[in-house]
Amino acid sequence: MIQQTKTGFPSDSSNKHPSFSWRLVIKDCLYFVGIAILLGGVLNYSLLVKAFNGTLISKIQQNQLANLKSKASLLYGISVIDLVSAKPLYDEKIAIFVDARTLQEYSIGHISEAISIPDREFLMGQIDPGKILPDKEAILITYCDGGECELAVDVAKGLSERGYNNVFILGEGYPGWEAAGYPVDK
Amino acid sequence: MKFLNNDYLHLTLQLFVGVIFVYSAVPHILNSMGLASSIYNYKLFPSPIIGLSAAVIPWITLLSGLALILGVKVRAASLLISTLLVIFISLAGISMIRGLDIDCGCFIGIIRKANWLAVCEDVLLLLGSLFIFFFDRTRISLVLLIKKFVFHNKNYKGALL
Repeated sequence: MIQQTKTGFPSDSSNKHPSFSWRLVIKDCLYFVGIAILLGGVLNYSLLVKAFNGTLISKIQQNQLANLKSKASLLYGISVIDLVSAKPLYDEKIAIFVDARTLQEYSIGHISEAISIPDREFLMGQIDPGKILPDKEAILITYCDGGECELAVDVAKGLSERGYNNVFILGEGYPGWEAAGYPVDK
Repeated sequence: MKFLNNDYLHLTLQLFVGVIFVYSAVPHILNSMGLASSIYNYKLFPSPIIGLSAAVIPWITLLSGLALILGVKVRAASLLISTLLVIFISLAGISMIRGLDIDCGCFIGIIRKANWLAVCEDVLLLLGSLFIFFFDRTRISLVLLIKKFVFHNKNYKGALL
């Protein structure tokens, strides 16, 4: 029986929608998803082509590296270094690699001989970099997960503010280093 | 438990969840590459899944959000939104367990890390969405309100969606 409620809208005495059924709801959901696939497919055709021919991820990595470079250099005046430039510095033991990720991630795997300065502990003042890195002129290369990971930027900024003059960020991060087959400790 | 049947509570929740999802969807539709980048950061999916998700999910979000705002196909929209929220919560949880420091990609242009705060917000939205799904009787909606106030139509029986 349909009745008027206080708000002026009709109500049936059972308080349940008379036409509810799971079948109808699922059918409506499929309509929504179908329309979304149609619209998304047509309007993002080039993105889908890149996704299926395997070029999407490299495009994303390029964009993220470009964003990281502009952010680090424009905001903090810190340069981003790529794998090709960082490897000789590693081989000749000229640079010290600083892992800015959590200790848990560091223990799972890190660049061989890298030292751990986790971003959170460092920013909270629980780590004194002067004890670990006494030479302020040493070349330091911070890294994290690459891409949009900002831990390496934070640590590089912090080190730079504490008087370290040669701080760089490894753009590709640990995943890029590992994928290139360079030395890691696990 | 009378408040559970309050029409205006239903309408407010529908509008709140709907507006949030429309607000989240529009920038993603305009910048699908940005969303693809956010999905890639979770380091869980292959390229085709990233592409498909970036192309389709914003449209599902937009359509569901608009349906909630207008009060059309409310149960289907809230079911889809609930499903998406369960996926978002799972992804944020997995990222936290793996110790990833990444943006959740929920809103382009707003930095919102995939952390406990994001999970809690998504759980609240999920509760709202499930409430709409289970308690919805579609007695009140924006469409019906417009019909009521613009057309001064006192007989709403035919307007029930």
